[in-house]
Amino acid sequence: MTEDRQLVSRALKGDRRAYEMIVRKYEQPLTSYLSRMTGERETALDFAQEIFLKAYCSLASYRPAYKFSTWLFKIASNHMIDHWRKKKLPTVSIDQPFEEEDGPMTPQIPDPGPSVVRKFELAEIREKIERALESIPGTLRELFVLRHVNEFSYEEIADIKSLPVGTVKNRVFQAKEMLRKRMEAT
Amino acid sequence: MTSCPRAEDLYLYLEGGLGPYDARKLEEHVECCQACREALEERRLLHEAFISLPPFEVPEGFARSVMDSLPEPEVRKRGWLAPLVAAVSALTVGLAGFNLFTGTSISDVLVALNGFFGQALAQAAPLAVKTLRLGGVILKVIRDLLTLGLDGLATFSRVLGPGAIALVVGLTALLAVLAFLGARRFLHQGEGS
Repeated sequence: MTEDRQLVSRALKGDRRAYEMIVRKYEQPLTSYLSRMTGERETALDFAQEIFLKAYCSLASYRPAYKFSTWLFKIASNHMIDHWRKKKLPTVSIDQPFEEEDGPMTPQIPDPGPSVVRKFELAEIREKIERALESIPGTLRELFVLRHVNEFSYEEIADIKSLPVGTVKNRVFQAKEMLRKRMEAT
Repeated sequence: MTSCPRAEDLYLYLEGGLGPYDARKLEEHVECCQACREALEERRLLHEAFISLPPFEVPEGFARSVMDSLPEPEVRKRGWLAPLVAAVSALTVGLAGFNLFTGTSISDVLVALNGFFGQALAQAAPLAVKTLRLGGVILKVIRDLLTLGLDGLATFSRVLGPGAIALVVGLTALLAVLAFLGARRFLHQGEGS
């Protein structure tokens, strides 16, 4: 974290090498997030480039009291929101309960039915998760990716998305249960 | 037996997000409840898959292409430019105001200013030269005094033996300590009053 602050400070003084180090550090986490959000490799790379450019141009507004990664992913998240808005993709309100094809989710009781996921090896499960991820609402997918791909804490995700921690926890849980059900259905 | 845990708690347990008391309660329950045991195992497998999703493979040279797309950093304006502009502006406004209020033409003011600064310079230049000369003389006197002192010390050490030199040095040190203590006492008395 301190290293990030020092790199930002140097970049603000015109040291382009320092910003390149930031880009190298965050290119993989950022593209991992964007590839899952867009579902397209080339678009993810284009978006990553645009986000790094946006971050560079607004570097002076970064406050060292916050984590740089949180700040960068906030820019990325807003970029995705703009993208969805332009494409007019259907978005689901974060305050409304998500409904499955077989009715509203009632995940409070563990499903005692036969487990489908047991049939697959871990690698197969990962492939299925990647496919199922594309079918769940973007708002849930984003929180899931931030938590399990980018390994942000619930508190950090709450900062990035400006949401209460409890809401984030609940939405990540809903995403996981939705993925599980989608995987069972295939 | 306690009631079945919520599915959300199963995930929290797997992430290590449950408190020790709740985690223990869940473990005890799972030992006795087959349905929950299976549900936990299923989520454990899923959780392992969630946390091991492969990272995106970034192509070689991506960072370089990002750097090439960045604009050149703005060259900062020199620090003296703003004060210089401010000074020139203030002078212009001052001259214009003087002209408006007194009716004196700007050229007359400039001539008067030129005369004033010329006179000041004519007076200041000889003074600066004298100051420099005086400084030179003072430096020469200090140098001569130092040379004299060092010569005296050399003669002194030649005349006296090593024992006498040690005695003189010791006495000087003692006098210095006494002077220091006396000065401290004097200062403390000053604080107290």
